[in-house]
Amino acid sequence: MSSDVIDPQVEVQQLERENRILKKKLERSNANCLNLEETAQKKESLLRQVIHELGESKESEALLEKQSCELEQALKDLKRTQTQLVQAEKMSSLGQLVAGIAHEINNPVNFIHGNLNHVQDYAQNLLDFVQLYQSHYPNPTPEIQIEAEEIDLEFIQTDLPKILDSMKMGTDRIRQIVLSLRNFSRMDEAEFKTVDIHEGIDSTLLILQHRLKDKPESPSIQVIRNYGDLPLVACYPGQLNQAFMNILANAIDALEEVNTKRTYEEIRENPSQITIETSLVDSTSVKISISDNGIGMPESVQQRIFDPFFTTKAVGKGTGMGMSISHQIITEKHGGRLDCFSTPGKRTEFMIQIPVHH
Amino acid sequence: MLFAVGHSNDPDSQTAISEVLAQIHTTLAGTSPKGGVLFAAIDFDHALILHRVIKAFPDINLIGGTTDGEMSSVLGFEQDSLTLMVFCSDEVTITAGMGRGLSKDVTAASHSAVQQAKANHKEDIQFCISLPESLTTSGALILDSLKQALGARVPIFGGLTADQWRSEQTYQFFQTEVCSDAVPILLFSGPILFSHGIASGWQPIGKPGRVTKAESNVVYEIDDQPALAFYQRYLGDLPPSSEYPLALFDADSNRYYMRAPIEIHDATIGSIIFFGDVPVQSMVQITETTHDNILAASRQSTQQALENYPGQAPAAALFFSCASRRQILGSRTGEEYEQAQHCLTQPLPSCGFYTNGEIAPLQQHGTTYFHNETFITLLLGAE
Repeated sequence: MSSDVIDPQVEVQQLERENRILKKKLERSNANCLNLEETAQKKESLLRQVIHELGESKESEALLEKQSCELEQALKDLKRTQTQLVQAEKMSSLGQLVAGIAHEINNPVNFIHGNLNHVQDYAQNLLDFVQLYQSHYPNPTPEIQIEAEEIDLEFIQTDLPKILDSMKMGTDRIRQIVLSLRNFSRMDEAEFKTVDIHEGIDSTLLILQHRLKDKPESPSIQVIRNYGDLPLVACYPGQLNQAFMNILANAIDALEEVNTKRTYEEIRENPSQITIETSLVDSTSVKISISDNGIGMPESVQQRIFDPFFTTKAVGKGTGMGMSISHQIITEKHGGRLDCFSTPGKRTEFMIQIPVHH
Repeated sequence: MLFAVGHSNDPDSQTAISEVLAQIHTTLAGTSPKGGVLFAAIDFDHALILHRVIKAFPDINLIGGTTDGEMSSVLGFEQDSLTLMVFCSDEVTITAGMGRGLSKDVTAASHSAVQQAKANHKEDIQFCISLPESLTTSGALILDSLKQALGARVPIFGGLTADQWRSEQTYQFFQTEVCSDAVPILLFSGPILFSHGIASGWQPIGKPGRVTKAESNVVYEIDDQPALAFYQRYLGDLPPSSEYPLALFDADSNRYYMRAPIEIHDATIGSIIFFGDVPVQSMVQITETTHDNILAASRQSTQQALENYPGQAPAAALFFSCASRRQILGSRTGEEYEQAQHCLTQPLPSCGFYTNGEIAPLQQHGTTYFHNETFITLLLGAE
C-alpha cells in the first residue's frame, strides 16, 4: 500500500481513537479546571494571611519588648537564686558544724554531770561530818570559832547543797540542749525509725528557745502545746525535725516582723503565740498543726510558698528553700501532705499530715 | 540488561494495552522479560490489561498500580494513559510479592509480601520497588513494616497508588490480580546498578505551630486548637489538600520533611488525616511552592541521581512524583518530565507516575523514608 492511499477502515479506527482521547481529555479538563481554581484560591488566601501576619508582626514588636522585659526579670531572679544558693550552702555547712560541736560537747558535759553526783555525796558527807563535830564540841577553840566566822561556815553549810543542785540543773540543761541538737540534726539517724513525734517537736522548740524567750524589746512568744494521744510514727526523724524547725522558724520570723511595729506594752496585751496541735486523723495517719497569730500572708505568697527559692525575706536572710524542703520531706519522703492556710491580717497555719506506717 | 517501555493514551483498555505491548515487542525483539512495573490511570479495565501482559510475557514478575498521571520516554507526561516498563536480564534476579489486607494487619501484610518475593533470591537483595495503597493505612506505617521485613539495609523506592485526586479507591496490581488495601513489591538481586535523587521545592511559610494532639496519621490539635483551624487560618473555608502540606521540623535543626493532608477526619472536632504519621510535639508550618520551584527540584532530583550513579551510564530511569506537584503545575506538568530528561546526556527508556506519597532514602544507601511533595528519580543499569 502506497503512503498516499489511506485505508478507510484504518482511518475510521484512527478517528475513533482520536475521538476517545479527546472525550477523555474533555472530561478531565473540567475536573482539572475546578481543582486548579481551588488550588489558586487557596494560594491566594494563604498569601493574604501571610501578608496580614507580616502586618501583625509590627504589633509583635511590642510583644518582643514585653518578652525582653520578662527575660530581664528572669535574669534578675536567677542572680538572686544564685546568691540564695550560696547562702543555702553556708547554712548546710553550719548545720554540720553544729552537729559536730554538739557531739564534742557531749563527752565533757557527761563527765562533769556524772562526777557531780560524787561531788554531791562527798560534800554532803563533809557537811554531815562538820555537823557531827559541832554537836560533840559545842564550844570550839577561839581559833576555830574565828575561822568559822571568817568563812561564814553557817552560810556555806546551807548554800553548798544549793550550789551543787543548781550546777546539776545547769549540766542537765546542757545535756538536754546537746541531746536536742543531736536529736535535731540526727546525722547518725538517716534511716527509717518509729519515734515519738512530740519528742521531735520538743527538741526543735528547745533549740529555738533563745528566739522564743523574753527580750528587752519584746516579751516572750507563748508556745501552746495541745498534744493529742499519738502512736509512734514511722519516719525519718532527722528530716521530719528539720521540717518542724523550718515551719516553726518561719512562724517566729512572722511574729517578730509584726512585733517590730508594736510596743512592748502592746505585745504584752496581745501576746505573740504559736500553737501546736497534734491529733490522730484516723488509725492510719496523724495531723500536726503549727499556727501563729501573726499577720497572715497574701494569696500571691501562699501560692508560691512551697516554690524553691521563693522568699519574701531580704537576700542573706532567707534561702527560700526552707518551706520547699519541708514540703518535699513531708510529701515525697513520708507520703504525707503539707498545706498552708492563711488569713491575711490574722493567722497562718501549716498543717502536716503523715501516715503512721509508711 | 535490557529495558523496554510502552505507553498509550488511548482510553480504551484493549487498544491501549495492544499499543503498549506492540511497542515493547519491537524493542525486545523476542527477549523474554523477567520483571515489570505497570502504571495505569484509574478508569481502565485493569484486570483485562493484566491478563494481556501475562499472556504476552508468561515469565514476567509484574506489579503495578493506579495513578494520578503517567509519564514515559514514549509519550512524556499523560493523563488517563497506560505505561509499562519491563526488565530483561539473565543475571539479575527479579521477583514479585503481594501483601493483602493492610488496614487489618499492616505488619502481616508487609511480611507476607516480602516472604513471597524473597524466596527465590540466592544473593543479597539490592533494592525493592513498592507501590502500596495510599488511602486505607498510613504510608509511613506500611514503610516501617516493609523495612522491618526486609532489613533496614535494603533501600526501598516507589510511590503510593492514586486515583486522580478523588480520594475514593486506589488499586494495586500483582500478576493478574487487582487489589485494594494491598502492598505489591518487586525485589532485585544480582549485578544491577542503581542510584537515586530526591527533591521537593516546597517552602515553609506563615507562623509555626506545635502539634499538641495526634495519633498515628491523624492530627487532632495544633497549639491546643483544632488542626483544621490551623489550616483555615491560611486556606480560608476550603478544605486542607495535599498541595499545601505541613513541614515537620527536626527537633534541633532547620531541616524539615513534609506531611500532606488527605482529608478532614472529623469536621466537628476539626481533625485531619495525613498521608503519613505526624508525631505529637512536632513543630509544623504550612508550606507553599511555585511552578519554578517545583521544576527546579525535578531537575535537581535527576542531577543528584546521575551524580551518584555507580557505573558508566544508566540504562533506564523510573520517576515517582507527587500528585500535588501535578496539581499545582497544571498545564505545565509536562515540563517536569522534560526538566528531568534535560539532565540526561542521552535519551533513556524511562517510565513513572504521579503518586499519593513517595518512598526513597534521603541519601544513597541510607534509611528509607516516606515523603510527600517530592520527585524521586531512580536510575538503573547493568554492571
